[in-house]
Parts: sequence; structure tokens; C-alpha cells
Amino acid sequence: MRRELIELRILPPLAIGRLGSSPDPMDNYDLVIRDPVGPRQIEPAETLRVDRKTGSVSRFTPKAPLRFKDRHGVRPVAPFLEVWARLKGESKLRPLTVELLRAAGLKPDSVSWRVQVANLKIFRRTAVEADKIATDIRPFSDHKVHRLSGRCRNFLPRKTVSLGSVQYILPSRTLPEIRFRFTPAGGKVYGLDPADNVYDSSKGTWQGQYSEPQDNTQGPAKGRLLTQPFQTFAGENKGGDKDSKLVSAGYIDDECDGFVEVEIRNRTGPMVRAFARIASGPPAFAPDSMPVRTVGDELEQAMFGPRVNGRVTVKELREVVEIVRRAMETACLMNAAQLNAGSLQPGSGMARHDTKDWHRALEPMFEPSVAETVAIASRHQRVLLGVESGSLVWFANALRDFDQVADLSTEGRRKMPGLMRGSDGMHLALTRRQVDKIRKVAAAGVRLMSDRR
Amino acid sequence: MRKSISPQNLTAQLQYRAAGNPPSTLPGAAVSNACPGLEMDFRNVWKRILVGIVLHETTNVVVGVEEDAPAPLYVLPTLYQLMKVEGEPVTATVTGPLIAGGPNVPIPNTSSDSVTNLEWSNALADVLYRYSGKEVVCEFQTIDPPLATLKFNLRVRHFFEKVLLPGGKKATQAVISRDIAEAGALTQSLCSPWQNDYRVCACFYWAATRPDYVNVELGEDGASVGNNWMQKDRTPESAKVYVVDDLQDQRLLTYGDLFREWEKALRFVIGNQDAE
Repeated sequence: MRRELIELRILPPLAIGRLGSSPDPMDNYDLVIRDPVGPRQIEPAETLRVDRKTGSVSRFTPKAPLRFKDRHGVRPVAPFLEVWARLKGESKLRPLTVELLRAAGLKPDSVSWRVQVANLKIFRRTAVEADKIATDIRPFSDHKVHRLSGRCRNFLPRKTVSLGSVQYILPSRTLPEIRFRFTPAGGKVYGLDPADNVYDSSKGTWQGQYSEPQDNTQGPAKGRLLTQPFQTFAGENKGGDKDSKLVSAGYIDDECDGFVEVEIRNRTGPMVRAFARIASGPPAFAPDSMPVRTVGDELEQAMFGPRVNGRVTVKELREVVEIVRRAMETACLMNAAQLNAGSLQPGSGMARHDTKDWHRALEPMFEPSVAETVAIASRHQRVLLGVESGSLVWFANALRDFDQVADLSTEGRRKMPGLMRGSDGMHLALTRRQVDKIRKVAAAGVRLMSDRR
Repeated sequence: MRKSISPQNLTAQLQYRAAGNPPSTLPGAAVSNACPGLEMDFRNVWKRILVGIVLHETTNVVVGVEEDAPAPLYVLPTLYQLMKVEGEPVTATVTGPLIAGGPNVPIPNTSSDSVTNLEWSNALADVLYRYSGKEVVCEFQTIDPPLATLKFNLRVRHFFEKVLLPGGKKATQAVISRDIAEAGALTQSLCSPWQNDYRVCACFYWAATRPDYVNVELGEDGASVGNNWMQKDRTPESAKVYVVDDLQDQRLLTYGDLFREWEKALRFVIGNQDAE
């Protein structure tokens, strides 16, 4: 009996590519914790190698140590996307394979892909529609490389910006899953030299005309629309001390984000479709470390709310230990003494922002003797080692709540995470869900430790 | 590769690592204290969270209305700011000492205002959780005098994509809804080009992936010594002296170095040490 596909998903739902100009994408690896307070170990993992000419794929495990650069440049991180499907009469999603397609009377070329990505950085500043850089790869089912050539109405004739490429991977007997790959661009900056300029400054204002003043008080019409922080583009300061403006140099990069869509028409049933998001950003230059507050934490909060409902378990304990570890990894790579300085010099941290933005008295946030990278890293290590003896209680009590970010008192600025800036420009708070989870796990300490044992 | 996932297990889908993908492809590897950010400026997902209006990604200013918005909303852009949603404030008063050792008092910004907006992700977390798809009371206030307030009932947009399954049942997918952010919206407010952010704004707040202090070891006095990641021409023999960020200091990478040669100039760091 012929089966029917009734639901599709693309996993992961949000995949991050990382720029690099090497033709050989980065190998796969695992981050393994061998020492509870030491750095994560980068261990080679099964990698999928794609023949870009044919779209065919094979697997291999690279040898250690992995190389993040080669003679061409940085190796881009090019994520795969997998299609998962649910069949009529089944309750679970499973990887869509050639066999599953066959059961539904379909073939790999029954699968159709569409990709829409854009770079709206210029548009975000100028608000001119003709400054949008975008591409829309119309439905295809072949296994060729499709280049994401970003087009823009304000570009010179026939000029485009490469935003990367995509490819529908040819399934095989050994790797029969339906998968797709996004390879981000090389990290090129356009407009540095006349030869690689793409922007037509006779049509648009981005090159040499668009400007932002040194402050954001431009009146209601414009100042309130600027990005915050403002002047977040390459340019040259022009004008005097009082009317200095940053005039755009007109540079354009090749980052982007957008959608990958998959669509399959059942032989006799309905059309099923799904989409995922892709984005490209710079490499993770310390690949064995993870940030303390991540897009993953935001998505979890958006999905499940600011509180952890019900009784916390060993699962939440593990997640909290991971948050403390991420805090430690961040602290290890920050010059705490410098970031604690009560100084208006560039290179200082939140104390400078507090005074420049809010006229707070200029002074270090912590006693200089405690704001020391090695000492702070050690304190986090002690929390990690002492989880079983209740060290999380100290950590939980030190956390800043989301509505305390505006408390610039001495005590307020010493809350955790310390010395860091949040997305509102104030002192960083973790997500409410992270804070709630840490506090609940700390409170349930003894019970959880015995559960873990 | 897992053999199966329940469609309702959204956690497993959000965190799913596809075969062959390194950990740096995951949302859990991307910074979200975006100011403006590295991989994406996550603040952009909140701009269209209230159906009818467009919010600034950072501030609480209304910057636009959606195409089919009711006429009364057209008064809001650039003149009004959002103050409360369903009674929950989205601002806070900034307090601290004006002089060292002084009392904690409301302190002003450059516009003589002591109020700051709270970041959307935390400020709206409970509203999103409780009222997704439902109407909420939104309170707006003029930015400039004279003070005036307005209230509108606006619907909270679904954050995650809803799909209609055969048979008419709706399912939530683990992907950020299409209506929340168009293609290009997540990266639109990042620095242009992105390399600019590595130099311009003293952004040491993403150290886990954009390192600041590397090759760190204990100095003779018990304090740490090490290098600024942006320091040029360093070798294992280089003195462990942290060069403080300064655009004029020739020992540090320049904008030109970053725009033209970032792949060569920026080094991968493993276990806090230069790995190349």
C-alpha cells in the first residue's frame, strides 16, 4: 500500500554558517569535557564530504588536530539541513530517506527546494528599498551548486555580491537521507578598491553620502530610527568637533540570513512543505568555548516561557552546570582587570559606558584586587567542582535579575554576569529562564545531588 | 542520527545537530547579548511581535506601522514609545551615584532622561508565553512633551511557525515564524561590514567566540599576563603584555587589516592559546 507524507520539518530549524574563503569546508568535531574545569577538547567527528560537481556525499573521520585554516584561508562552516517526515498513521517524525520516498511512490527529484536570503544592512541604515541586497533561488530539484548572487537595484549594472551557495545533496545507498547544504560566502568586503566596487553611487547614498552624527539626537524623523549603537558602519569622520559625522565608506559585506524551503507533492495526497532559517556570521575564533547567553537560550525562553515549571531534575542540573561552564569560558578570555577599570579611555568596559551614557560617577565596578581574570576563572572552577556541596547557592544569589539592569549602584554593578554588556546596552542579565533554572536547581541542591548519584 | 523525534518534542528539534555539522552551527553557539551581535542581532525578532506596529530593535520607540494596520496606529511612529504591555513595564529607571560614594539617585543620560528600555527578550518573555496569539493592552507615551498617553489592544504574534496539517489540525514548528522576520532581518543591524565590530565599539562582551585576552598565564606578582587578541605580529616568544585598545596604536590590527586580511590577521584560539 502506498504511504502518504503528511508533515515535514527541516532540522535544525536555525542553522548558522560561518564565513571563510577556503574551498574546503570545516570538518566536523565534538566538544568533549574530560576535565570538569579544563577547556573542552576538540575531537574529530564523522564528517560528510560533498563532491560539489555531482552533489554526492561520503563520510570520513578527519585526523587530529583539526585545522581551522588552510592555505586558501579560513575553512567555512557549511551546515547541512535534514528533512524529517511524518507518514500518515504514524506519530513520529523520522529522517526522510530514498526508501521512505519510494514508499510514498516518490523519488528524490520529487523534492523541491527554494532559497531566499538577503543582506539588509545598507537598507537598515538608509531605509531605501533599492538598497536591499537579496536573492531568491526558485524551486529546483537538481544536485548542482546554486550560487546565492545577491542583487540590488542600486548596484552597478551586472554586479552582484556572493552570499554563498546551496546544494541539494545526492542521496546514496549508504547515505540515503534527504539533506541540503548551505555554504556561506568567503567573508569578502566589497568597495575597498574601485575594481571590486559594486555600488552605484549615482543611484544610492550608501557610498560617500550616507552619514550619522556623533550623537543620536537628530530629531524625531531620523535619530530615533538609527541603529543602537549608531555609527556601526565603516566610514570616515568629517566635520568639526561639534558637528562631526561618520560618512559611510560604502563598504558591503557578504553576510546574510533567510529561508530554505522544501516542498513535496504526494502522488495522490496534499502538498507538504517546511522551512528552516539559515544565517551566516564570522567564525567562532575560540571554538572550544561557548557564550554565556546564546540564541539557543533565547529560543528556549521564547518557546517555554521565563519560568521552569514543575520539579527540576538532573536534566536541569546538567544544564545549569553547562551555564556555569560557559560563564567560566567567557571569563577566561576576558581581561577582567582592564574591563573593570574606572576610565573613559577606549578599551575600558562598563564603567566607561555608565559614565558616558548615564553620567554615573566614574569608578571601577569591583575592588581591583578581585577583578583579575585568573581569580575569576578560579572562582567559577570552584563553583563547578563544588556543585555537590552547594556552591550553586552562591552563584544563584549573585545573579542579576532582568529588571535590575538599570541599577548602577555599587552593589548592582557587582551582580553576575559581571563586566559584560547586554543587548539593551546596560549590564548583562541572563535570560529570565536561565536565572530561574539556576535558582531552582540551587534550591533543590541536596535532592538533585542524590538523584545524580 | 536519531531514528525518530516526536513532532511535539520542540526542544529536541531546536537543539538538533544534523549529521556532519560542527557545534558552531547551533543556536547555542551564537551570542545573544547582541549589541549589535556577531552571528545575528537577535533583537530583530521582537520588532514585529505586536501585530500592527514595528518596534525599534533596541529602544522602545515605535518606528513604523504594518501595511494593513488600523488608521489610529499611524500616529505612533517616531513620536510614541511603548511603556507597558498588559501592565508589565518595558522600561526601568536608571539609578546610581552621581559622585563616588554618593547616594543612589535617578541619573540622567545625554538627553537628561533617567529611563531606559529593557531588552525585549526578557521584558516580553512572560507576555509572549501567556498571550501568544491573543490581544494585549499596550500603553504608549509621547517621547517629547507635552506628555500624552495612548492605549491600543494589539495581538501578540506567534513567535514560532504554525502550520496547518492535513485534517485541519494546527502544529507548532520549532522555527522562528516567517512573519516575525523577513529574509535578511536577523542580520540587518549587525555592523557593516561585520569586521567593523571587531574594532569600533570595544566589544569585549563576546569573549567566548571573539576572544579578548589570550595566551594568559600567571605573572610573577600573582596577577595574570597575556596578549590582546587584536595584537599584531605576536609569536610564542612575544612579551605577555596586554596592549589596551586604542585606534592609534600601531601594535593593534587596524580596520584595513580586518577588511582586507581578516582571515590571516585573526587567529583561532584553543585552550586560551594561539592555535596557529
